Amino acid sequence: MNAHLLTLLITLPILAAFIVAFIPRQATGTLRTTAVVFMLVELFVSYSLLDGDYTTASYQFLEQHEWIPVLGISYKVGIDGISLWLVLLTTLLTPIALYASWLSVDTKIKEFAVAFLMLEAAMIGAFVALDLFLFYIFWELMLVPMYLIVGIWGGPERVYAAVKFFLFTLVGSLLMLIALLYVVGLYEDLTGVYSFDLEELSRVVIPYGTQIWLFGAFALAFAIKVPMFPFHTWLPDAHTQAPTGGSVILAAVMLKLGTYGFIRFAMPLFPLAAHYLGPTIAVIAVIGIIYGAYCAWVQKDVKKLVAYSSVSHLGFVMLGIFSMNIGGVEGAILQMVNHGISTGALFILVGVIYERRHTRDLDEFGGLAKVMPVYATLFVIVTMSSVGLPGTNGFIGEFMILAGTFASEALQPWPQIFVFFAATGVILAAIYMLHAVLKLFWGPLSNPKNENLEDIGTREIIAVAPLIVLVFWIGFFPGPFLEKMTPSVSNFITSFQQKLMIENQDDTARLLPGSGGSPSAVAAATARVVVPVAGDQGGEG
Amino acid sequence: MSALMPALPLLILVVGALAMMLVDAFVEEKAELALMSFWIFVVAGGASVGLWVTEQVIEVPEVMSLYLATDRMSLFFDIVICGGGAFSALLAGGYLKEHALERGEFYVLLVFTAFGAIILARSVDLLSLFIGLETMSLGAYAMAGFRRTSARSTEAALKYFLLGSFAAALLLFGSALIYGATGSTNLAAIGTAISSGEAQLHLAIMGMMLMIVGLAFKVSAVPFHMWTPDTYEGAITPATTFMSVGVKAAGFAILVRVLLVSFGDDLSANAETGWPPVIAGLAAITMIYGNFAAVGQSSVKRMLAYSSIAHAGYILVGVAAAFRAGEEAVSAVLYYLMAYTVSNALAFGSLIYMGSRGKEAVSFEDLAGVGRRHPAAAIPFVLGVLSLLGFPPTAGFFGKYYIFNAAVQAGGGFVWLAVLGVLTSAVGAYYYLRVIVYLYMKQPQAGAPVAVPMKSGYVVVALILSSYFVLRMGMAPGTYLDMAIAAAAELVA
Repeated sequence: MNAHLLTLLITLPILAAFIVAFIPRQATGTLRTTAVVFMLVELFVSYSLLDGDYTTASYQFLEQHEWIPVLGISYKVGIDGISLWLVLLTTLLTPIALYASWLSVDTKIKEFAVAFLMLEAAMIGAFVALDLFLFYIFWELMLVPMYLIVGIWGGPERVYAAVKFFLFTLVGSLLMLIALLYVVGLYEDLTGVYSFDLEELSRVVIPYGTQIWLFGAFALAFAIKVPMFPFHTWLPDAHTQAPTGGSVILAAVMLKLGTYGFIRFAMPLFPLAAHYLGPTIAVIAVIGIIYGAYCAWVQKDVKKLVAYSSVSHLGFVMLGIFSMNIGGVEGAILQMVNHGISTGALFILVGVIYERRHTRDLDEFGGLAKVMPVYATLFVIVTMSSVGLPGTNGFIGEFMILAGTFASEALQPWPQIFVFFAATGVILAAIYMLHAVLKLFWGPLSNPKNENLEDIGTREIIAVAPLIVLVFWIGFFPGPFLEKMTPSVSNFITSFQQKLMIENQDDTARLLPGSGGSPSAVAAATARVVVPVAGDQGGEG
Repeated sequence: MSALMPALPLLILVVGALAMMLVDAFVEEKAELALMSFWIFVVAGGASVGLWVTEQVIEVPEVMSLYLATDRMSLFFDIVICGGGAFSALLAGGYLKEHALERGEFYVLLVFTAFGAIILARSVDLLSLFIGLETMSLGAYAMAGFRRTSARSTEAALKYFLLGSFAAALLLFGSALIYGATGSTNLAAIGTAISSGEAQLHLAIMGMMLMIVGLAFKVSAVPFHMWTPDTYEGAITPATTFMSVGVKAAGFAILVRVLLVSFGDDLSANAETGWPPVIAGLAAITMIYGNFAAVGQSSVKRMLAYSSIAHAGYILVGVAAAFRAGEEAVSAVLYYLMAYTVSNALAFGSLIYMGSRGKEAVSFEDLAGVGRRHPAAAIPFVLGVLSLLGFPPTAGFFGKYYIFNAAVQAGGGFVWLAVLGVLTSAVGAYYYLRVIVYLYMKQPQAGAPVAVPMKSGYVVVALILSSYFVLRMGMAPGTYLDMAIAAAAELVA
């Protein structure tokens, strides 16, 4: 059972999609329930992922089969302390997003459920794939369901938004494919056989001049997905046009694949390039933080505001990743989860008023706290999480990232400058979010259309409640979450530093020894070229 | 008899075609010629598979082996061309009946065209090459003009005929020069003559260039593509299907064969001089032009014509890389042609399926809202365009991946060709997605006629079969990949 747990997690939604496809179209109630129930089963199954041994950095629930042996393509999946949380985030948010969608989506229920289930399978697949070919397939496969969700069930400009989303992502990922082929080609030159196995490919030492291009191609694909400034322009369009459930998944899970891609693939494969471009990317991340915040401030459309806030928040995540110390990277990973929770909840809540008023224009509202007290309370709580108030999850993540950046050696000589500007982003976040809250809930109830609005319903509360619980849970007890990711993160950093050291010494194309890419193997390689192993990398967060 | 075994697929086709002519003439009830031609193709293709599997070494009489190859690559192309023919026969079975064009000649022409295509793909001599080319082309001209009452169809045939003859003349001229330079018409002997230095090199190179131009016409590479959009659009769709898969496959087969067998020496095939830079240049402009021109089309059929030009560009990338990445590149070309055959059959088949009598689905507008009204008809189309777009897990994705892999492995400037390839595929995504946009996200204009899918078992079978292969070749390409590699290995070795 355990040996196939990840495969089960990937195939269960696909199976469910087939079952849903055979339920008669008229039985809308059954369709809705079946899809959600299957996702809950999936959530329940994914819970056993926590049983893995996360005290080591090695992959858990590893499964490997040959797929296309001639080309070294295999089906290899595994999970570590980093992907664990992202998979759990996916399995938690997909049912919530679908459940929330059922409040608004009432055409072509069946297709919507099928698209969502396929999307879930592809996202989980992308998070657990350890073979780059497999990863690429899941990565691309995510596009189609999301394209359809935006394009069919979205707002008035949906076709434009869907095509833009698709093309942006596709351009990035196709260039990544070429870079990937190049790496595989280098591996083949050195060993005589092909392999797409991440651990195998990580052993290739690539000359700097080549590496910079390859890293650039990977980074572009992931930066578009994150999205980093200036590749973010598809995001506001896609978010505003997508139906509520689509926005939730897009923001909460799909964007994380970009940041995850940096940690899992781009940086371990090309440490030298990542090292030299790291500060530049950090600068862009900080620009993104501030730019996203300013854009969010001036938005009239609440959904667009949340979309731009994502640009800002993911800037933090990128900054944390490129601070390259345990505190910063752990903060970044935690912040990925946090952003999923708080932005997911925000999109659901925005969906609630949109359902009632069919507008999201801030000027149309005001004084809603009087007619919708429960809704206002929930909204404010989620806002606090998004802003990063102490006691909520957002605080932990942002604090760790800023602390990590402060102590960062990768961003020398003045990591403090990064912190200074990023911290401005925190303040701006408070401004734009509280500005939105002010416009929505406080002040006089000036617009007569708002006088008879119903308060948030039970079903909507059910959708948001788990997320609110998590806001405080992570806010007060982040320990267990961080504990499980620490070994993987420290392994990520040490292997990165060690490979960097080797490549800094001598970057002629060759293969590092060692099987399985375990840290000890890379360490042995370091010892062989007689280089003192790097000392403590950065401080605690 | 056993000496004729390697030519068994050809014999089956030609005997079958003759039999069909008799059946068409003497059987009143317009017997199911579609079904008959489908089975002829299946049996001929099956014979090739049988020859492949048995791996018998048969003493081939010289009179045949001097003109026709009996290697794995020819068997591979037998299978691809017969496959394309089988799909076209099924599609014609539905299309001709639906649009009141049911005349038996079409199927006979189809089988003869496929016969010519196989001769072309198999030929190892300039003479058989030309005979194959003309047999194939004459059939294709006639098929293009099959709808005699339509001006578009006639224009299609005439344009194809005139430009095709022109191309054939260039090819013939090139052959003459090559013969003059090397004193031989046999491809291998030409190669020996050139590499041993006996040949007059400048003449041979000139001849090679003329042959490349002639074949570039057949595979519709830019700038020799002018006939393609009009012909593909004007011809009846089953004929277009076969032209875009079978004829194109045969063109690429002989292009690869001529370039590698006759001009595989170091002087004619290297990164600076000879054919690789020429083919690479053709590939680049073909990919760019084909993809960008397809963006502006309002007719799906015409869009698919430009898409077929674009795909010729991708395949040319593999051909260009063949001088260095050898076996890998050739097998990529072979695999791609197979994947393209099933994907294109699926896309054209879906387009045929959308149109019923008196209302052929041609433009994007015709597709509006079909996904809502007839979900079952729309799904194969989506699969087809995703495969043409090169999206996992379809045959098209794996084919494209493998082609670009060959280019990247060839290194040097070919990496940039691969980058150009993926960037232009992203342009391609735009127009392929438009199909999905219209199927699912648009509604027909008020008062506009509403497309109703036809009812035809043949077309349904063709769609199911091609969908199966599109998915199979994308998800478990192992078997087909091994075939392509084995076929390529024999040629390159």
